[in-house]
Amino acid sequence: MPFIPLIKGTFRALTRSDAQERELDEELQSYLELLVAEKTKDGMEPGRARREALMELGGAEQVKDSVRESQHGAALESLICDLRHVLRAMGKAPGFTFVVVLTLALGIGANTAIFSTINAVLIRNIPYTDSDRLVAGEKTQDGAPQGPLSRLDYFDISDSAQSFEGLAAYVPHQVTITGDPAPEVVGMMFATWNLLPILGTDPIVGRHFLREEEIEGGARSALISEGLWRRRFGGEADVGGRALLVEGESFTIVGVIPSKFRFMADVDLWLQIERGDYMIDRKRDSHSLQIVGRLKPGITLAQAQSESDGITASLAEQYPDTNTGKGLILYDLQRFMVGEARTGLLLLMATTAMVLLIACGNVAGLLLARGQARLGEMAMRSALGAPRKRLVRQLVTESVFMTMVAGVAGIGFAVLFQKLLLELLPLGQPGLPQPALDTTVLLFTLTISVLAGAAVGVVPALQATSIKPWDHLKTISQVSEGRRSSRMRNLLVVAQVASSVVLLVGSGLLIQTMSRLTTVDLGFDPNGLLAGTVAIRGSVYETREQRAEFFSLLVERVEAIPGVTQASVVSKIPIGSPYMDWEIWPSDQPKPIHGESRTALARFVMPDYFETMSIPLLEGRDIERTDTSDTGSVIVLSEATAEGLFPGRDPIGRMVNIDWDDPYEVVGVVGNARLDGVRSDFDWAMYLSSAQKGVTSQWLAVRTERDPLLFAEPIRTIVQDMDPDVVFFNPRSMSAIIEKDLSGLQTVTTALGLLAGIALLLTSIGLYGVLAYHVNQRIGEFGIRIALGAPTRGLLAMVLKRSVRMVGAGLALGVVVSVFGTRLVQELLFETDPLDPLTYVGAIAFLGTVGLAACVLPAWRAIRVNPVDVLRKE
Amino acid sequence: MVESRQNILKGTLDMLILKTLSLAPLHGLGISRRLEQITDGVFQVKPGSLFPALHRMEQEGWIVGSWGESENNRRAKFYSLTPAGRSRLGEEREGWAQLVATIGLVLEAN
Repeated sequence: MPFIPLIKGTFRALTRSDAQERELDEELQSYLELLVAEKTKDGMEPGRARREALMELGGAEQVKDSVRESQHGAALESLICDLRHVLRAMGKAPGFTFVVVLTLALGIGANTAIFSTINAVLIRNIPYTDSDRLVAGEKTQDGAPQGPLSRLDYFDISDSAQSFEGLAAYVPHQVTITGDPAPEVVGMMFATWNLLPILGTDPIVGRHFLREEEIEGGARSALISEGLWRRRFGGEADVGGRALLVEGESFTIVGVIPSKFRFMADVDLWLQIERGDYMIDRKRDSHSLQIVGRLKPGITLAQAQSESDGITASLAEQYPDTNTGKGLILYDLQRFMVGEARTGLLLLMATTAMVLLIACGNVAGLLLARGQARLGEMAMRSALGAPRKRLVRQLVTESVFMTMVAGVAGIGFAVLFQKLLLELLPLGQPGLPQPALDTTVLLFTLTISVLAGAAVGVVPALQATSIKPWDHLKTISQVSEGRRSSRMRNLLVVAQVASSVVLLVGSGLLIQTMSRLTTVDLGFDPNGLLAGTVAIRGSVYETREQRAEFFSLLVERVEAIPGVTQASVVSKIPIGSPYMDWEIWPSDQPKPIHGESRTALARFVMPDYFETMSIPLLEGRDIERTDTSDTGSVIVLSEATAEGLFPGRDPIGRMVNIDWDDPYEVVGVVGNARLDGVRSDFDWAMYLSSAQKGVTSQWLAVRTERDPLLFAEPIRTIVQDMDPDVVFFNPRSMSAIIEKDLSGLQTVTTALGLLAGIALLLTSIGLYGVLAYHVNQRIGEFGIRIALGAPTRGLLAMVLKRSVRMVGAGLALGVVVSVFGTRLVQELLFETDPLDPLTYVGAIAFLGTVGLAACVLPAWRAIRVNPVDVLRKE
Repeated sequence: MVESRQNILKGTLDMLILKTLSLAPLHGLGISRRLEQITDGVFQVKPGSLFPALHRMEQEGWIVGSWGESENNRRAKFYSLTPAGRSRLGEEREGWAQLVATIGLVLEAN
C-alpha cells in the first residue's frame, strides 16, 4: 500500500514540532559525546573512538525514525496496524465477514432509506419562507375537524383577525385550457390574492394578484406556472397581459410562478377568489376553501387559536342557522401537510431500527463466539506485553471497520430501497421536500455505522480480553466460555426473539388489514372498468338538453367500440373522487334543525350507470332517458339511505328534500357502495339525474371485456372528434384507482412483512448459533456422560431446556411489548383488533416453532457425540 | 540474549528500563551501561531500541526526562520514574512472575 508511507509522512509533519526534532537531535548528540568520552577514557585514540561510537549508534537518522514512529506516529501507526490485523482477520474468515457485512449493510441500508424520507418529510423545514410561522386551518363542527371552510366565513375571519400577517384561502381544481396550440386539462388553484406572498414565493415574470382585484366581479387575472409558460407561450418575457382561455372564459395573465414552487397540489394555473356573489361557496353553509396563514412574529399558535375561537363564536351568534357549533382549528402547516403519512413513516422507522438492532444482536453474538475462539491469541499477545487497552481497541476497530464497510454498502442498498419502496410511500401533500441522500442522511448513516460497530464490538472485545493470560495458559486445552459471556449471548437471543414477536404481530395485523381491504365488498365490481373525466363548457353547451345530448351521444359512440360492454356517466367516480354530501330529509317532515340533519353523498348519473358499475338495483327503476328537465325531479337512494329515511316503509314514490331544492321523487333503491375510499363506510348515497341537472363535468365509466386501458386511446379519439376543445382526461383502470387509494398502506404492509421476515431469519440464525456453540463447548462433557451411560433423552432435555428457556422468555417479553407497541399501528388498521388473539397466538406459535427448529441440529449433535472420539481428543 | 530477540520481548525491555530507573535517574547511555552491568554483559541495548522505548514510555507518562549535567560535566537528558511508571513496574513484575511460574508448570509437566 504505497499511500500508507505518504499518510505517515503527512501526519508526522503535522504533529511533530521543530522543537521536538531539535531536542531529539541534541539527545542523540549527547549520547554520542558520552560514548566517545567513555571510549577515550578507556584509552582509545579520539578519532577511532568517534568512529566506533558512530557505528554503535547505528545511524542517527534511523534511530530518529524509529523514535518518531514509536512516538507521534504511534496513534496512526497502530491504527494502520489494527487495520492490517483486521484485513488479515477478515481474509481468514471470508464467510464470516461476508455474513456480518451483508447483515449490517441490509440493516443500515433500510435505515438510511427510511431516514432519508423521515428527514425530508418530518425533519427538514417545508420550503417556504419562515415556515415555522405558517399555519393551516380546518373547519370544525362541534369540535370535530371537518375539512374546508366556507368562503364567507373565511372573509369574516380574515378581515377581523389580528394574529396573522395574512390569512389565505385556496382550493385545487381541474380545468380545461383551450386555444392554441391544443386544449389541455391542467391543475388549477383558486387562491386569495395573498396566498403566494404568504408562502413567500415571487413571480419570475410579472406580479402577484393585487388586493384591489379581490372586488366582486374581479379583474379576471391569472398566474401561470413556469411549465405552462414555456409550454404554451414559449417562455416569452412579454406574457403579461396576454389572454388565456379557461373553460372558455378569458383571463389575463399577470405573472409566472417558478416551477420549483409546489403547494398542496400540482397546479399550472392560479385564479383569484373574489368577494361577493361568486361561483365558490355562494352560501355560508357550503364549505370548500382550505386555509393557510402566516402568524405575526411573536404570536403563538395558541394565541391565534384563541383569537379565531372568539371570532367564530361571534359568527355563530350572528348566523345561528349556519354557524352554530362551527369553529376553525389551526395546525402547524408542516404537520398538516404530512398528515397521515406520519404514522406510517414512524412505524417503518421503528421497524427498520428494530431490524438493525436484531442484526447487531446477531453480529455481537457471532463476535462473542469468535472472541472465545480467539482467547488463545489474545492471551498470547497479552503475555507478550500488549496492554489490554490496545487489544480492546484492535477488536473494536475490527468491528467498526466492518460496520463502516457495511455502511458504504448500505448506502447502495438505500438507493435501491428508495427506488423500490419509497416512491410508493405516502409522502404527505405535494410541496414537502423530496427524500434525498443529502449530508444529514449520510451523517446519519455514518453515525449508525459507527454506533453499530461500537455496540457490537465493545462487549465481545472486553469479553475476549478479560481473561488473564496466565489463567488462560494454565488451561490451554479446555477453553470454557466465561459465565458473563454466555449470559450476554443468552440475553441477546431473548431480545431478538422478543423483537421478532413484535414485528410478527405488527405485520400480522397489517396483513390482516390488507386482506380485509382487498377482499372488502366495495358494492360494485372494479374489474374491467375504465374511468376518466370529460368536461364540457357551460357557455358552449348552454342548455341542459344540449349537455345531456353530448354525454348521451358520447356513451352511444363508446359503447359501439368492440369490446366495450357498457358505458355511462357519473359526476364523481367511486374511490377516485370522494366527498360532496348534502342534507336530505323526507318531504313530509320539517327540515331537521342544525346538528340533527343527515347527509348523503350526492352523485349525478346518466341511465345504465348502476348496470355499468354492477351496483344492484334492489327496488323500483333506474334513472331513465325519459327523466328530463321537463319531467319531475327523480332520485335513486342507496339501501342505507332508504332504510334510514323510511324505516320499515316502502320508499318508492315518496318525496325527499335536498338542501334548498324542490322535492324529488324516489324512483329506485340500489345497493350500498363504498364511494369515498376503500376504507370508507357504506355511506349514505343519493343519485340524481344528470340530465335534469345539466352537469358539465363528468366521469365516463366504461365496462370492458379486456384490459380496460386498451380503450383509453379510442375513447380519446371519439371525444376529440365530438368537440376539439374537450379532453378525455387521465383515464385509469378502476383497479389502478383502488391501488392508489391503498398504496400507502400496501407499501407499509409489504415493507413491514419483508422486515419481519428478515428479523425472523436473523433471529433463528442467532438462536442456532448460540445453541450450536453451547453444545460445542460441552461436547467433552456430553461424551463423558454418554460414556457413563446417561440416557440420550436426558441430554436432549438438557439442550432443549436451555433453548426453551431463552425462546420462552423472548416470547413473553415480545408479547408484553407488542400489546403496547401495536397502539402505533392502530390508526392503520381496518376492521382488525390491535389485540387480535389469533395474530398473537399465530406469531407465538410460528416463532416458537422456528425457535425450536433452530435447536434441533445442535441437540441432535449433542446426543450423537461419540465418547471415544471426545476422550481421544482430550 | 541476542539483539534480535529484543523485538519480541518488547514488553520485557520496558520492564527492565523501568526497573533500572527505579533505582536512580539515568541518561540513555547510563541505562544501557547499567543493564549491561547487571546482566554481566548478556543484555545489550542498542540506541535503535533504547530511544524509541524511552520516548514511548515518556509519552505514556511512566518516565519523565529532564536535561542535566553528566558525571563528566556534559549535557545529557536524564530520565526518572513517575508514580505511574512505578505502579506499571509493579504490574509488569507480577505478570512476569506469573508467566514464569506458568511456563515452568508447562515445562515441568510430564
